[in-house]
This record gives sequence, C-alpha cells and structure tokens, in this order.
Amino acid sequence: MHRSRGEKILAYVIALAFAFFAAFPVVWTFITSLKQEKDIITRSIRLLPDPATLHNYVAIWTQSNLPPLMWNSAVTSFLTVLICVGAGTLAAYSVSRYRYAGRNHMLLFFLLVRMFPLVLMVIPLFIIMRNIGLLDTRIGLALAYTGFLLPIFIWMMKGFFDAIPSELEEAARIDGCTRLGGMVRVVLPLVKGGLFACAVFIGIGAWNEYLFALMLTTSGGSRTWPVGLQLMVGEFQLPWGALAAGGMLSILPVLVLFALVQRSMVRGLAAGAVKG
Amino acid sequence: MSESPVLKRSLAARLSDGRAWPWLLLVPALLLVAAVVLYPTLTGMDISFRQMRLNRPALGTGYIGFTHYLAMLNDTVFWVALQNTAVWVVVTVVLELLLGLMVALALDVELPGFRTIAVIVLLPWFLPVVVAGNIWALMLDARLGVINAALVNLGILSDFKAWFADPAWALPAAILVEAWHGFPFFALLLLAGLKGVPTELYEAAAVDGASLWHRIRHIQIPALRMIIVASVVLRAISLMNSPELLLILTGGGPGYSTQVLSLYAFQKAYREFNFGYAGALSVVMFLLLMVGSWVYVRTSNALKD
Repeated sequence: MHRSRGEKILAYVIALAFAFFAAFPVVWTFITSLKQEKDIITRSIRLLPDPATLHNYVAIWTQSNLPPLMWNSAVTSFLTVLICVGAGTLAAYSVSRYRYAGRNHMLLFFLLVRMFPLVLMVIPLFIIMRNIGLLDTRIGLALAYTGFLLPIFIWMMKGFFDAIPSELEEAARIDGCTRLGGMVRVVLPLVKGGLFACAVFIGIGAWNEYLFALMLTTSGGSRTWPVGLQLMVGEFQLPWGALAAGGMLSILPVLVLFALVQRSMVRGLAAGAVKG
Repeated sequence: MSESPVLKRSLAARLSDGRAWPWLLLVPALLLVAAVVLYPTLTGMDISFRQMRLNRPALGTGYIGFTHYLAMLNDTVFWVALQNTAVWVVVTVVLELLLGLMVALALDVELPGFRTIAVIVLLPWFLPVVVAGNIWALMLDARLGVINAALVNLGILSDFKAWFADPAWALPAAILVEAWHGFPFFALLLLAGLKGVPTELYEAAAVDGASLWHRIRHIQIPALRMIIVASVVLRAISLMNSPELLLILTGGGPGYSTQVLSLYAFQKAYREFNFGYAGALSVVMFLLLMVGSWVYVRTSNALKD
C-alpha cells in the first residue's frame, strides 16, 4: 500500500518513541548495575558509569543466595514445561484435529479457566498442598503453575496444529499408519518450531511468576528467585547496584530465549488470543 | 521382555483407532485442570463460608454461613479497595489500549527497522513483575530517581518527589508502571489484527482520497473491533486478578490509597491467616468479574449493530 512521506515520518517518530519508552528502563537498570554505589546514590545523575565495574555482579552472585534461588526457578520452570508439553500437546492436537460433540465447549472451557482469580485458587492450594505434603516443593509449585499456563499452551499449540493441512495425516493413514503414528511421526516434526516457542513461553511464565511462589514456598529448598530477590529488597535493604545486577542476571535467560523464538512465539500468541 | 514394548505400542495404536481417541487425548489435561484449578476454586468457595484462621486453630473450621460476606458490608477497607480496583482496572486498560493502538498503527506501516522495533516494544511484557516493579521504583526514587532528575531539569518539578509515598500520586504512578508493563499485549494483538485487514479496503479508500484520520477511524478501528473487545476482557481480567505489582511497589499504601481487592484478599490470607475472609473476598471478586465481562461483551455487541 502506498503511504505518503508525511505518514512514514510520523510512523517512524511514533515507533522510535515507543521503542525508547519500552527499552529505557531496562537500559537504565543495566547502566545502574555497572555503577559504583556512590555514583548511584547521587542527585547529580550521570548517564554513564565512570568507571564501569562488574563489582555488583560479583557481589550479588557470591554474597547472596541468588544462585540456589535461580536453580530452584530453573527446576520448577523445567517441570512446568514438561507437564504442559506432555498433557497440552495431546489436548491441543485433539481440539485441533477432531470434530466431536462438545469440542467447542472444551475450547471455551480452557479459555474460561484462565479467568478464575489466582487469589481464589492460591488460598485453597496452600491448604491442599499442605495436606498432601506438596507445600514448599518444586513439583508442587510446578503443578500449581500448570493451572494457568496449560490452558494458554493448549490455545497457542492449537493454532500451530491448525496451520498443518490434515491431508498429510490422511495420506499417512492410507499408507497404513495408525492415528497415533500419524500424529507422532508426521505432524509433530512439522510443528516442532511452534512447540518450542510455546514451551519457551510457558518456561518464561513459570520463571517470572511471583504470587504463587510467595504463597506456596516457605523455605530456601524450593523458594524461587522472584520471591528471594524481593525478600532481599524488603528485609536486607539490598543496595541499588546489587539489585540492578541481580535483576539483569535473572532476566538474562528470558532475554536470550525471547530473542531466539520471538517470531514464532508472537505468531502463536496472536493466533491463540485473537481467535479466542 | 523383548515383546513388551511391541505389545505396548500396539495397545496405544489400537486405542488410537477407537472412537474414544479424541477424548483420551484430553484426559491428562482435563485431570490436571480439575486438580489444580477446579477443585481448589470450589474449595475456595467452600472456605468462604467457614471460619478458617490458620493462626487460631482453637476457633475450628466450622460453617458460619454468610458471616464473612456480611462483615464485608461494614468493612471500610473493602469499599475503598473496591473503588480503587475500578480505577486501577479501567484507567490502566484504557491507557494500555491507547498506547498499544498507537504503536500498532505506526508499526503496521512496515518500514525498514520496524521488525526490530516491534521486538523491542514487546520486551516489557516478558519481564518479570519483580524486576519491572523494582526498575521503576529505582527510576522514581525520591533521592536518586532519574525521572525525578529529568522532571526537575525540565522545570516541571521544583524538587524530587516521593511518588509512592504520596496518597494522591501513588495510584497514578503505579498505573504508569503497569501500563508500561502491559501495553505490549495490546500492541501485539492489534498489530496482528491490522495485518489481517484486506488491502482492497485501503485501495478503495485511497481512490476516494481518504485522509489518514479517516482511514484509521473508518477502516482500521472497525476492522479491529472484535480483537479490541476480546483483548480488553482478557486484560481487565488479568489486571483484576493479579495484585503482584502493587504488592511489590506499595503493598496497598500509603494508607489504603493503592489497596485493591485482589491485594486485600491476598494479604488477609498471607499476613493475617484469615483464610475464610480472604476466600469470601475472592469469591466476590470472581462474581464481579463474571458480571462485568458479561455486561461489557453484551454492550459492545449491541453497539456494533
């Protein structure tokens, strides 16, 4: 479509302004993490660190319990992804491929589940998990996360399955494949990019989560980094430089994974939510 | 031993050709959702009619009818929180929608570099609330905040301001942070929607010599209507349900100036161990959400015709 010169300039101005708005806080945190504390606590704000130092990173990594906290988060996220990929891929395949009575209700059900207040779920979850011994465990937390991440995964994955023509499985069936064989050997290899993107999205969601982790973990054995970092801020008056360095370290995996799969993840999210 | 995997496979393969196969595929997901969403939610509703104070087990956990719900009527904090929730959800959603729409319309033009800009713009949405909240706490800090410094240099402020300590400014400041965190959600969905607008529509408008504003107002926004309705509902629900950012930034204070229902319910359980009352508060929240989304979808459908 033809756009006038004025429109293009306007589009650039708006786009760049938003890029600045979105990125500046993160860039500022990065700059802060490289500064000495005396250069942070000052009203005469200097834009660049002088001299730049990695001192804050060394301090937060060696003098706080950030490493075990991040390890707990990694294990919890991994378990969440494993459960969602296992149960969610099958369910998404079912609602994408087969036509049966109640299929639309099933889809609506997975959408409605996302609307249940987290607070209404987390209070009883605390009691239930305490009764069955899953409170303050990483697997218990991962199971709780599937409650709100699995429905999103199913909706996103359905979009990727929908994009694969079903003639492929029909051809496989004619060649003597079972339905299971057609799904595992024909369709799954074709959606592996989408599957990876959905898995990353779920992983980021679990890695970032704060509220459930705050309620359902009570000790260092299962506490995740958002809870631990916030605890350091509140109780130990963590210096700003160390906090900024800790923040940068914790979002590093998110940034890397997001950069890796952003295109297909965005497509899946848009498809899942738009059709919903 | 060597035969058992073959047997297993043939069993699964045989099941896969049965009529129940589509349902069998759903079983693991349905079991999980039943166990971690439905059962806890129903338990939560049950708890809301019980006495349940974890720190005072002597009181027991017997049914006490609507006591908690009646107590809410006389709870001034509840009414303040209800009012704040309305402001918090409505203002944030409107702000995020406007920001998201603006950036989506700009990025839809497709110029060199816009792919990269689109990724940068999405970034805040993928950041953890704990980091997002503390980043802004740092930038708005009363002693060393870069935003305070910029505003003073521009002559807008006479001195550094403690935004989150001022009851008049705490909620607006928190809304700004949440808008930064959430506007990419709208940008993402609206941009995807704009890509789907048929080019013939634009060509027809170009022939008619339609202005930029005319095109936005009469082609692009109407084409986005369904997406706008759906994304507003989804976002309003998640804003109403998640107290995380306010928990990190203000904890509901100063006073009760940033207290919202979800945060109030969470604190009743987490701090005071009054699970019964917290359950009742979240049931009320759930009902308000259901009624609110229903009314909103109905009116926006009615306006369409």
